[in-house]
Amino acid sequence: MSSVSRPTTAEAGAANGPGSAGAGRPSPSPRARGLPVGAYPRYVAGRLAGAAVSLLAVLVTSFFLFRMIPGDPVKFMTGRRPVSAEQIAVYRREFGLDLPLWQQFTDYCGKALTGDLGTSYQFRAPVVDKITEALPNTLLLTGTAFVLYTALGVFLGTRSAWRHGGLGDRLHTGLALTLYSIPSFWLGLLLIIVLSVGVDPIPGLFPTGGMESGREEGFAHVVDVAHHLVLPVVTLVAVEYGQTLLVSRSALLDEMGGDYLTTARAKGLRDDLVRRRHAVPNALLPTVTLIFVNLGRTVAGVILVETVFSWPGLGGLFYQALSVPDLPLVQGLFFVFAAAVILMNTLADLLYPLFDPRVGR
Amino acid sequence: MTAEATEGSESTTGAEGTESPESPAKGAAPGPRALARQRRRATVARFWNEYRRHRAGVFGLAALSLFVLVALSAPLTVGSDVESVTNAPGQPLESPSGRFLLGTDQFGRDLLGLLIWGSRVSLLVGLLAAALSVTIGALIGITAGHFRGWYATVMMRITDWFLVMPTLVLAIVLATVLSRSLGTIVLAIGVTTWPTTARLVRAQTLAVESRPYIERAKALGGGHWHIMSRHVLPNVMPLVLAQTTLIISSAILAEATLAFLGLGDPAVVSWGGLLQDAREAGSVSSGDWWYLVPPGVGIALVALAFTLCGRAVEAVLNPRLGVSR
Amino acid sequence: MSTHDQHGSGRTGTHPRRIRLLASAGAAALLLASGTAAPSASAAEDDKVLTVAVAQSVDSLSPFLAVRLLSTSIHRLTYEYLTNYDPEDNHVVPGLATKWKSSPDKLTWTYTIRSDSEWLDGQQATAKDAAWTFNKMMTDDGAATANGSFVTNFAEVTAPSPTQLVIRLKQPQATMTALDVPIVPRHVWEKVDDLSKFNNDKDFPVVGNGPFVLTDYKPDSYVRLKANKDFWRGAPKFDELVFRYYKDQDAAVAALRKGEVSFVSGSPSLTPAQSASLEDEENIHVNDAPGRRFYALATNPGARAKDGTKFGDGHPSLLDQRVRHALFMAVDRKAIVDKVFQGHAVEGEGYIPPRFPQYFFEPSADQKLAYAPTEAARLLDEAGYRTNADGKRLGRDGKPLNYRVLCHATDPNDKAVGKYLEEWWGELGISITLDCLDNVTDPWLAGEYDLAFDGWSVNPDPDFVLSIHTCDALPATPKDTGATDNFICDKTYDELYARQLAEYDPAKRADIVKQMQSRLYDLGYMNVMAYPNAVEAYRTDQIESITTMPSAAGNIYGQDGYWSWWSAVPAGSGDSSGGSSSTGAVIGIAAGAVVLVGLGVLFLVRRRATADDRE
Repeated sequence: MSSVSRPTTAEAGAANGPGSAGAGRPSPSPRARGLPVGAYPRYVAGRLAGAAVSLLAVLVTSFFLFRMIPGDPVKFMTGRRPVSAEQIAVYRREFGLDLPLWQQFTDYCGKALTGDLGTSYQFRAPVVDKITEALPNTLLLTGTAFVLYTALGVFLGTRSAWRHGGLGDRLHTGLALTLYSIPSFWLGLLLIIVLSVGVDPIPGLFPTGGMESGREEGFAHVVDVAHHLVLPVVTLVAVEYGQTLLVSRSALLDEMGGDYLTTARAKGLRDDLVRRRHAVPNALLPTVTLIFVNLGRTVAGVILVETVFSWPGLGGLFYQALSVPDLPLVQGLFFVFAAAVILMNTLADLLYPLFDPRVGR
Repeated sequence: MTAEATEGSESTTGAEGTESPESPAKGAAPGPRALARQRRRATVARFWNEYRRHRAGVFGLAALSLFVLVALSAPLTVGSDVESVTNAPGQPLESPSGRFLLGTDQFGRDLLGLLIWGSRVSLLVGLLAAALSVTIGALIGITAGHFRGWYATVMMRITDWFLVMPTLVLAIVLATVLSRSLGTIVLAIGVTTWPTTARLVRAQTLAVESRPYIERAKALGGGHWHIMSRHVLPNVMPLVLAQTTLIISSAILAEATLAFLGLGDPAVVSWGGLLQDAREAGSVSSGDWWYLVPPGVGIALVALAFTLCGRAVEAVLNPRLGVSR
Repeated sequence: MSTHDQHGSGRTGTHPRRIRLLASAGAAALLLASGTAAPSASAAEDDKVLTVAVAQSVDSLSPFLAVRLLSTSIHRLTYEYLTNYDPEDNHVVPGLATKWKSSPDKLTWTYTIRSDSEWLDGQQATAKDAAWTFNKMMTDDGAATANGSFVTNFAEVTAPSPTQLVIRLKQPQATMTALDVPIVPRHVWEKVDDLSKFNNDKDFPVVGNGPFVLTDYKPDSYVRLKANKDFWRGAPKFDELVFRYYKDQDAAVAALRKGEVSFVSGSPSLTPAQSASLEDEENIHVNDAPGRRFYALATNPGARAKDGTKFGDGHPSLLDQRVRHALFMAVDRKAIVDKVFQGHAVEGEGYIPPRFPQYFFEPSADQKLAYAPTEAARLLDEAGYRTNADGKRLGRDGKPLNYRVLCHATDPNDKAVGKYLEEWWGELGISITLDCLDNVTDPWLAGEYDLAFDGWSVNPDPDFVLSIHTCDALPATPKDTGATDNFICDKTYDELYARQLAEYDPAKRADIVKQMQSRLYDLGYMNVMAYPNAVEAYRTDQIESITTMPSAAGNIYGQDGYWSWWSAVPAGSGDSSGGSSSTGAVIGIAAGAVVLVGLGVLFLVRRRATADDRE
């Protein structure tokens, strides 16, 4: 979704952006291929260890990366109030800023391992609390969008491939590419103008922003949230489904060259059946990887849509934290964003051999 | 295309006949240099002939040429006066009229003029950021593919690390850390988007270097520099070209995104900056579509055009891809 | 969408059935939607809810920690302060204290605390609560976080009886009736271990004694308050007050236009485009009130500490008064008001806005630095800053003058005025670099800027905004943070400041305050460009009337007091805000269902067509 993350999305272990419309199988990692029989447990252990190392690397870099942000957190906290040097020293001690950098770092790592990511400077609350407050909201938004764009993308992609070169294919591919080129925040703003504020003949159907009106209880509350969910989800789906469509399309096209399909058809199986029973399941395989990688990235990339729709999620929190700079919160959020990607990559790696009949178990 | 795919199968590597030292043109008298030139010319011609068959690609190229023309001629057609707030010709936020085809902004400046003027920055940032990204990527990819050993391991570890970093988040952080300027935006995009290219190029390098003629070149005393610049580079160039086109498209979107988030240079007019201005002025709630729609359309069209070109280039290089014609 | 997938993989040849299926699914969704929307509508029917859109998030709900306007406004509504300000003309009126008097030596203040104010849990609010609150702020650094500056001059605070509060001062202080500190219930707060980490946002309802009760809070979503029916001044007219959070002002305005909210606060003001478009709306009233802020261009006079250490890197040429005057004379204040604020501001004169007429100062004719670019150029020539062949003005070091102007990235006005400055000063041959930051605190406190956009909200009592330009406000050492705004330190000004602080006669004090402003104007370190209006808007179909402050032409959000929300009268139609949301949900979901069905039909038709093609 995030425009910046696009090229990398195309390659994050998987591959195939809208640009590279095809080329074989996006396999999670070279090691996943040609797995000897019975090697799966060892493979799993290896992947998990790799993920742990990556997480650690992220922890380390997030600590040092954000020390580069200019701005003294204590000065921000005290703002323009008169504060004596002693009082500033007290604050520095309270937040551990008076220690040498390496000691701050070891403290940070030690605490992080016990699940303590420090205290937010501006909210004076544990970072973990702030994140757990916002995380469900982000997950609700990305999760709903993810299910929809994956379903839509895979469905349209396989259909396009099956009749590639036809009018429908060209239409779908063109539309997907166009939507993919649209900045998501811009689409969101337009949707707000047309469907929320309302342009003359069209009444404003959806809320302009937020996640709830804050007044309903019980089931009405669920409906209320669903109502608020529509526009952000539509925006995310519109800019995201294209990639899934293109990948599943090219994966199926690749598959369609296979001899076994010709055989199946020769056996007199109906076209539709051949596709459904044979081609699609095989073609879906490489798509699975991309799907998982996408989910991880959507969590990080949702910042823009959350900004446009005032969604109370991680993205908004990140933005608030960055302007301070609220170092513990920024670090914590960065870690969560990166962890989401790592987690999903690993999951894709682990699932891949299970799905691929050609890879032994 | 995946690194693995390129790495794994010979059939998908590189362009067909982009560079084929194994099939020397026989019976030609001219020296090797002229020969090479001739061969390159033929390759380009063949490439163009192939490319022409991709309608979407041609369309993308035409659109691009148009945008570049508009951007390059902006100093003549609109001039920097369009940026002046003290000499703004209109009233604030006029809707489109015969005088101002796209209306005016909150300072009374002509939005059509600003749109044209802003295209320069958007295109420039896109091109520079992509150039930076691809240069880093190609450099790391080629060297990591050529030298192997611990150097390659370290480089690929770094690449992998950058791959799992949430790119937008990283770019926002970089843009916050550094001062607000175009250079910062270029740097933020370039530094965060190179790993894709690095992996692709490395895979291609590995494939090229496994060919027999590299062995021959080495045996004939070709040094690292010679191998990398004379043999590997020409072979990865097509791939790099395709990659560049695609990354420009992302970079233009990324520029708009960062500018929209308020991380751009406030003194410079760009499409993303115009969108940010539009939102700050309140055009969403007022329904001033003429302020909001054109910059977005501009961004989308340019990004789309680059993507179409990139896809067409890829399809030419690798005919097995199922890109629709 | 998943429905598509599921049906799409079925056999071909049974289209009619599938269409029916899809259609019925759509109908079911519709039914579901309308069914679920009904209870929500009925639940909200009796309660009159006032929803306020805000574009700021809550930093803390603890009165000891909160500094953002939204949070302190909520505290105004939920806790009583000793005194309040009359909405009519800002004069001090009783709050928790009914009477107050000072001793002849001006050092002891005695407040009589009312006996008809109850905490939510039924206990009476007494002088003991007030004494505990102040004492806590004096002794606990964590409790002094937000309002510590109010108690720095306190020697001792005691409560000899439940209705009597005695404050002894170190120095005389004219602001003792303007102690804007929320008084908290001692019996609740003394249980808190660490006030520096307690955010008061876990236990609802929060025990308070203001006109509203804080009942619910969800970060970055909403803050919900219920009317306190037992409030001593009388119950508010609305039953509920909700502050809804929007990421930016324009989203909030869109919500108002749609009727999702009843009121939108400017943060600090609606943009001209927003107010212009809202003025055309039938049921929306735009309140364009003279603001209490000034919008100024501050000049760095060379940052220094009280111990004499100089720091920062302000441009040396700005120490020349002629240069400062020349720069300001090249600023067309009228154009700023007309173009940037589009009339929603008043041209800048003295330091305190005309909204406070007793303190408002206008420079005399020969003192005034009117807009005169050629005169400005002459002044610069005279000061020795001449232009070179390229038209660039050179500094003493022979380099072209280029000033760094610190601006707030979040304020569109800063960026807009910056564009104008660039061109106006460009004419003089001086270039500028706009340094727009989300958070300007760091370079600001370090004195690492040449000029900066500056602005303060002025309280009914101007002491604070005057105090920040005294030498006494400078930081003790470069390591401290002083109260100073931009390191101005001027003897004449300081003498006047001391005189006004000890002057208990309002008229005489006002006169001294005007002299101070005159001095400030001449110094040229603080150049007020405009007083922006507070532009805000509300729906007249939801709010019938609401008190502005001052009542003649005043603002609604961020008042010194709880008048606006306490006094707001619901519109007769009973169509409180958000009422349309459930109907909106029905229509919205219905539209979604229609689209879904339409897509399904389209896809089936297409599918048949292509299937035929193929076979």
